[in-house]
Amino acid sequence: MPLLFEGLEAAILPCSLILLIPGAGVALAARQRAAVALIGFGVGALLLSWLRFSDRGGSLGNGLAAVMLAGAVVLLVVPLVRRIRFVAAAGGFIAGAAAATLWQPCVGSEFGQLLTELPQRGLSGLALLAFYMLGLFAPLVVLGAALSLLPSSALRLVRLPMLVAGAGVLVILAMSTAAGLTDDLVGQLVEWSVA
Amino acid sequence: MSRGSLIALLVAALALVGLVFANLGDTEDPEQTLQGEAETVPTEDPAPPAIVPLESPPPVLGQALDLTNLAGWLQTDATEFADFDGQVRVVQFWTFGCRNCKNTLENMSHLYTQFEPQGLEVIGVHSPEFDYEANVESIAQAAIDLGVTWPIALDTDKTNFRSWQSGRRFWPRTFVIDQEGQIRFDRIGEGGYDELNSTVAYLVAAGS
Repeated sequence: MPLLFEGLEAAILPCSLILLIPGAGVALAARQRAAVALIGFGVGALLLSWLRFSDRGGSLGNGLAAVMLAGAVVLLVVPLVRRIRFVAAAGGFIAGAAAATLWQPCVGSEFGQLLTELPQRGLSGLALLAFYMLGLFAPLVVLGAALSLLPSSALRLVRLPMLVAGAGVLVILAMSTAAGLTDDLVGQLVEWSVA
Repeated sequence: MSRGSLIALLVAALALVGLVFANLGDTEDPEQTLQGEAETVPTEDPAPPAIVPLESPPPVLGQALDLTNLAGWLQTDATEFADFDGQVRVVQFWTFGCRNCKNTLENMSHLYTQFEPQGLEVIGVHSPEFDYEANVESIAQAAIDLGVTWPIALDTDKTNFRSWQSGRRFWPRTFVIDQEGQIRFDRIGEGGYDELNSTVAYLVAAGS
């Protein structure tokens, strides 16, 4: 439980924006598939974070992260495949893994203890990390649930703006990541929010 | 996902967020509390808890790297990391905008006050996460506001943040380096204060 609460507290910290912003982009771009896309996003972010933080690999580099974000846009936006639900989950997964590659967390005491022990822990470390990230992703859970609860008539009205906004967020992130500007972009958001 | 389960999910998430904010609301602002107490009952700062040295030597975790490519130093006449050779050093990677980093400063301040006369040096390696944290005047002002009195190394382009932490990079991260330049303590994030303090106490005592 302390890990879950520390994750919830971290959800309001600027360091978490690099995970939450692409998550919001995925939810918006996936429209009525927001819930399933966000589950994919969460699983992708969790697995990559676990690999990275436990020294089992997972450092993909900014170039690959940018390509993955762009690929996620394609999977989320272009409905060319019949199994749309699976494609939305795959798009979310790829975007989550890319976001986790870029994530540099601020670390509280419980999470710090977990991170210190993570290379020595096996799958129990993955489970504990999942608890932390469940708290961290609480705003995305709320967003996904809210989007899924929109009546279809309302959804039809906002479908295009949502698609443009969600895909736009992911494309801007992909481009800024490719150009090495992600920190500047998120930093500007933080500065505005502080002001 | 059914409509019912989505509603349940939404309610659960809102309840969790509410719990966190209730928890944050209960947290006392130490400055406000001290001011409030000062109006009614004059109080003295409570003495920091006694620091007990480790009973056995802390493990050697590797050799410390140099601090390179720095943009400068604040609050010291030192110009390079080697100027502190032969001393027990606490090296902490931090940035003034990071809440978890700020939470470690109270203990660090106690540690510095207690062991600086016996040869401890604390070096705050300021590695900005965002552009607005890279401004030197802002860092100097933050040091004053946060009570950071120890030397600050300006790792503006995060060269050392990356080289010292290889694949696993976090704010804050605290290392203790012994007189021979070996890493004897490594902690990610807040907490671990008892172990940090005991390690420093042991190394300072062993070197005197």
